[in-house]
Amino acid sequence: MTAIDAGPRRRAGDRPPAVAELIDEATVTEITEQAWLALVGEDEVLVPLPAPLPADTLSSWVGITGPWTGTVVLTTGRDTAVELTRALLREHAPEVLEDEDVDDALGELANVVGGNVKAVLPGPSALGLPEVGATPPAGSPADTLRVDVLWRGQPLTVSVQSPLHTEEENEVPL
Amino acid sequence: MTVRALVIDDSRAMRRIVTGTLEGFGYETRQAGHGQEALDVLHEGWVPDLCTIDWNMPVMDGLQFVNAVRTNPAWRAVTLMMVTSESEHGQIVRALAAGAHEYVIKPFTADAIRDKLALLGLLPQEVSL
Amino acid sequence: MTLTATRFDWVRQLVHRESAIVLAPGKEYLVEARLLPLARKMGLADVDQLVDAVRSRPRPDDTRQIVEALTTNETSWFRDGDPFTALTSTVLPALQSARGPAERLQIWSAACSSGQEAYTIAMLLEDAMPNAATRVSITATDISREMVERTRAGRFSQLEVNRGLPAPMLVRHFQRAGSEWEVSPTLRRMVATRECNLAAPLPRMGPFDVVYLRNVLIYFDLPTKQAILRRVRELMRPDGWLFLGAAETTLGVDDSWSRVVIGRTSAYRPLKGA
Repeated sequence: MTAIDAGPRRRAGDRPPAVAELIDEATVTEITEQAWLALVGEDEVLVPLPAPLPADTLSSWVGITGPWTGTVVLTTGRDTAVELTRALLREHAPEVLEDEDVDDALGELANVVGGNVKAVLPGPSALGLPEVGATPPAGSPADTLRVDVLWRGQPLTVSVQSPLHTEEENEVPL
Repeated sequence: MTVRALVIDDSRAMRRIVTGTLEGFGYETRQAGHGQEALDVLHEGWVPDLCTIDWNMPVMDGLQFVNAVRTNPAWRAVTLMMVTSESEHGQIVRALAAGAHEYVIKPFTADAIRDKLALLGLLPQEVSL
Repeated sequence: MTLTATRFDWVRQLVHRESAIVLAPGKEYLVEARLLPLARKMGLADVDQLVDAVRSRPRPDDTRQIVEALTTNETSWFRDGDPFTALTSTVLPALQSARGPAERLQIWSAACSSGQEAYTIAMLLEDAMPNAATRVSITATDISREMVERTRAGRFSQLEVNRGLPAPMLVRHFQRAGSEWEVSPTLRRMVATRECNLAAPLPRMGPFDVVYLRNVLIYFDLPTKQAILRRVRELMRPDGWLFLGAAETTLGVDDSWSRVVIGRTSAYRPLKGA
C-alpha cells in the first residue's frame, strides 16, 4: 500500500503507510471486545461511546516493530483499572490487590489487544513487552487511530499510534 | 492419577487465570515467569505432563523455551501448548515447527483450554458447564 | 434485573432434558448473558419475556436456539470427536471399497449451525484422501438463513477457532482475514449450503452416503422424530451411514435401522427391506 494522500506533513516515498490505511476502528473495537468477552467476562460488553477520561488515569502499552512501527495504548481511570483487575482475576484474585497486580493486569490486556492488532497489520512484526504508567509515549496526533468505549459505564480508550515524527515534535500531542 | 502442569507467563494475572482453570480440571500446577525459570523447574526434576507457554517474555521467550525442551530427550513426554497473543498464521506455523503440540490464542475462555486438553487426551475428568 | 426463580428453573429443566448438562443454581447471570442476544433478535426486551414467549408457545427452533446458546458444544470443532474418528477409521474405507473410483461421495451435515461440522468433515477427508475436493461433496443445511450464510462464508472469529480445532489443522486449512480466520477455498468448494427445515418435507438432495444429524432429534416429539428419520432415510443410499448426537438413538423411535458400534460411538444403517 502506498500513502498518496496522507496529509501535508508526509513526504512521499520514505514513510510507512498511515495507520488508518492498515486497520480501521471497527476492527480495533472488535479485537478489544473479544478480549473483554473472553477474559473479563462473557457479559462484559463494550459500548462504543466517547466520554471524558477522569484526571487520574493509568495506561498500558505495547510496541509493534515491523513494516508498521508504533504503539498500542490502553488508557482508563485508575479506579476503573482496579475494577478491571478484579473482574479479570475473578475468583483467582488475591484478597488485597496491590498496585503491581493492577499494573500487571492492565499490561496483559495491552499485550492481548496489541498481539491481535499486530496480526491484522502487515507483517512480519515483533511485539514488545507491555509497559504501564500514567503517561504513555506520545504518538503522532495526525497518525493515530483511537477508539473510545465505555466498560461498565466508565471510559476506556484504545489507541494505535505511529511514533511522533521529528517535524511534529513542537506540536502539542493530543 | 494426578496430571501436572507448568504455567509459564510473565503476567501474574495470566498465570493465576491459567493455573485456576487447570486446577479446576484437577491439575497440580506450578508457575514460572519466563522460559529460563521454567527450565530451572524441569532441571530440578519436576517434569510436568503439560506446559502452557506464553510467547513474549523477558530473559527467555516461549519459542526459545520450546526449542530448549525439545533438545532434551528426557522431556520428550511433556506436551507443549502455546498460550499467547501472537496470532499470525506464520507464528503458529513457527511454534508447531519448533515442537509445540497445540496453540491457544489469547484471548481465550476456559472452554477453549478444556477443548484443547480434550484433544490432547489431557483432561483428567469430564467437566460440564 | 435478575431472572426469576421459576423462569430459571424452566430453563434449567429444558437444558437438562435436551443436553444432559446441569446448570447449577447461581448461574442465573450466565443464563441472562447468553440469552439476551437471542431475546433481542426475537424483538423482545429481556430474557423474562423470551422465557415466557417460548413457554407459552414452544417451537423446536426456539428451544434449540436456547439450548445452543447455553451449551457450548455446538461451537466446538472436534469436541465429542468420536463420530469424526469413525468417519476416517471405518466409514470411508468401507465406502471406498463399495464404490467405483469415479463415484462422488455425498455427505450431509444436517442442522449445520455456523458450519464447524461441515468443515471438520471436509478437513478430515481432504487430509485422508488425495483429490478429496473432486471426489466428495458435502451438503450443509440449517433451518436458519443466518446460519446458512455464515457456513457459506466460512469465516470464524478468533474465539471460534480457539474451540477444539487442532492447531495443525488451523494452519493447514485456514488463512487470516482481518481479525477473523477464513477456511481455504478448496474446503469451501467442497461444501454446498442450503436452507432446510427437517420437520417439513425435504427438498430433493442426495442420495447421501453419510448423514450427520446430531443433537437435532432431541428437540422434537416422538411422531416428528419418526417422520424426520423416515425422510432422512429416503435420501440415503441403502448402505449409508447415519450419525446421531451422543444422547440420541433410533432405538424405540424407528425400527428400520441397525446400530453399529464403532469405537466409542455408534452409527445407524438402514435395515434391508425395512
